[in-house]
Amino acid sequence: MAPAKPPLLRYIEGLRQADSGRVTVLGLDVTKATNKIKQRIGIQLQSPALLPLLKVVEILDTFAGLYHHSLPLNDLLELLALQESRKILVKNLSGGQQQRLSVAMALVNDPEIAFLDEPTTGLDPQARRGLWSVIENMRSKGKTIFLTTHYMEEAERLCDRVAIIDHGKIIALNTPHNLIKSYFEEKAIEFDMAPPPSNEALRQLSGVNNVVIDGSEVVIYSNSIPTTLSALLQFADRENFTA
Amino acid sequence: MKPFYKLTLASFKQFSRDRTAMFFAFAFPLIFMVIFGLIYSNTGSVNYNIGLVEVDNTSAAAMVIAQSLSKIPIFTISQGILDDKLNELKKGDLRTVIVIPADIETAMGSGQASSITVYYDPAQTSSAQILLPVLRQAVSEINRQLTQQPVLLQLSEESVQSKSLRDIDYLVPGILAMAIMFLCLFGGLTLVQWRERQVLKRFSATPTSRATLIASQVVYRLILSVLQAIIIVAVAQLLFKVQMVGNWLALFGVVCFGALTLVSLGYLAVSRVKTTEGATPIIQIVMFPMMFLSGIFFPVEIMPSFMHPIVAAMPLTYLGDTLRQVMANATPLYSISTDFAAMAAWLVVCMLLTIRLSRWE
Repeated sequence: MAPAKPPLLRYIEGLRQADSGRVTVLGLDVTKATNKIKQRIGIQLQSPALLPLLKVVEILDTFAGLYHHSLPLNDLLELLALQESRKILVKNLSGGQQQRLSVAMALVNDPEIAFLDEPTTGLDPQARRGLWSVIENMRSKGKTIFLTTHYMEEAERLCDRVAIIDHGKIIALNTPHNLIKSYFEEKAIEFDMAPPPSNEALRQLSGVNNVVIDGSEVVIYSNSIPTTLSALLQFADRENFTA
Repeated sequence: MKPFYKLTLASFKQFSRDRTAMFFAFAFPLIFMVIFGLIYSNTGSVNYNIGLVEVDNTSAAAMVIAQSLSKIPIFTISQGILDDKLNELKKGDLRTVIVIPADIETAMGSGQASSITVYYDPAQTSSAQILLPVLRQAVSEINRQLTQQPVLLQLSEESVQSKSLRDIDYLVPGILAMAIMFLCLFGGLTLVQWRERQVLKRFSATPTSRATLIASQVVYRLILSVLQAIIIVAVAQLLFKVQMVGNWLALFGVVCFGALTLVSLGYLAVSRVKTTEGATPIIQIVMFPMMFLSGIFFPVEIMPSFMHPIVAAMPLTYLGDTLRQVMANATPLYSISTDFAAMAAWLVVCMLLTIRLSRWE
């Protein structure tokens, strides 16, 4: 279900050795100053209950103990809305709580850089928005966050810069706005209708550049969505399309 | 040090919430001990059911003989007629049937030898081995009395050991050895579970070294082994009055060393295994033969000679032997230095091979 993780991140995080080239994080060489780097970064790995028989507060306490510097546990629990779950055993947490816990563990040492691996996958919308505000909060504190996601809206909303990685190579690296502008000049309206309206009729609507109909799937490419949408609705009205 | 301490503490917290682990670490060996202890304490007061047939029960001589036999403490005598008694023997209700013939009085009166017939079941070898000699001795004593021979030579029995070793004294150190083995070999299972749950991967993202992680696991198991020792010895003392002869510090030292050896054996066994389902049978394959072939339940001497080299190859043999010597001052199988050397050899080999063969992720 999850796409194959780009190994690029694993090298930065120090979990794998590079065949050639150099990787530096915070100005330090990954192969030479590994532990120094690890003190200052946090990593969230997508994994199920790590130590299932510990309570939430206990696992955070254990991990906090591995670093020279750590956030006060209460602050951390507050940040991720885990205060009420603090005494629950890790194995009894819901999916959303688990996810928030793994993010908390990534932040336990108040890292300068945090690597979050699909942190909102599988979360309900409310939990997702909660995590978004945590990330926005960290961003406002000046922390750097490397976020992997396959949710476009998440990338667009949270990220200052987005890298699109394909087969281990960065094929695009820009602000979300610029990326959309350069690669997706046109926007589209998609809907399902059987039988679909005629291609020619749709092309007549205001702002429409192209119409692609595949079976009952209709995609209308347009320069301006509001204009086309308005025209489309009037069209539907005239033609008496029933829902 | 803080990471090490935190990790070890976390292991203890998890253990205290893991009922299965606690059962196998403490309850299971205690159950073994209680069962075996009850069995052995029963053999102390063994009693044999003997059938006695006086063909002519009016004969005075027969009665005298019958009385002598009934005085023997391990016999519980029931009298009756031959056919009944033989049936009971065949059913297994009696161990032997002794028949005093009708002509005994007349035969003895005229100076002729007479025989008392003993019926026994050769299939019951252990009771036959005890009963027949006892009967022979009883008959020869009756003979002596009847013929008025003086006692010229007697046997005076002196016990050499300051404390006599009961079966249970011999068994308790073996049970401790077994308990340590269970605990430490299953340490390997934890490692595999960690591998499965990507725990090791998560820890490798932290500044904590693998060495610290493993060391914390090992020390945690050593401490649990010492706890096992304390509990097992305490319960043995309470229930079966088993006394700890040796000194406690020496015991803890041996326990820790043996635990270390067995933990490294456990890690070696699972070094290539990726899943819990795969690891459990491997650990069991190592564990069960070792349990029965290390002189824990049966002493090595009673095993056929082709098995002796196998027993000598098992690390548990040496741990059991050392524990018996330290705890009960038992007759050594090997000297303590040999035991330690053997365990050390196992430890080194296992550690080296594990490092060579281990896969972390």
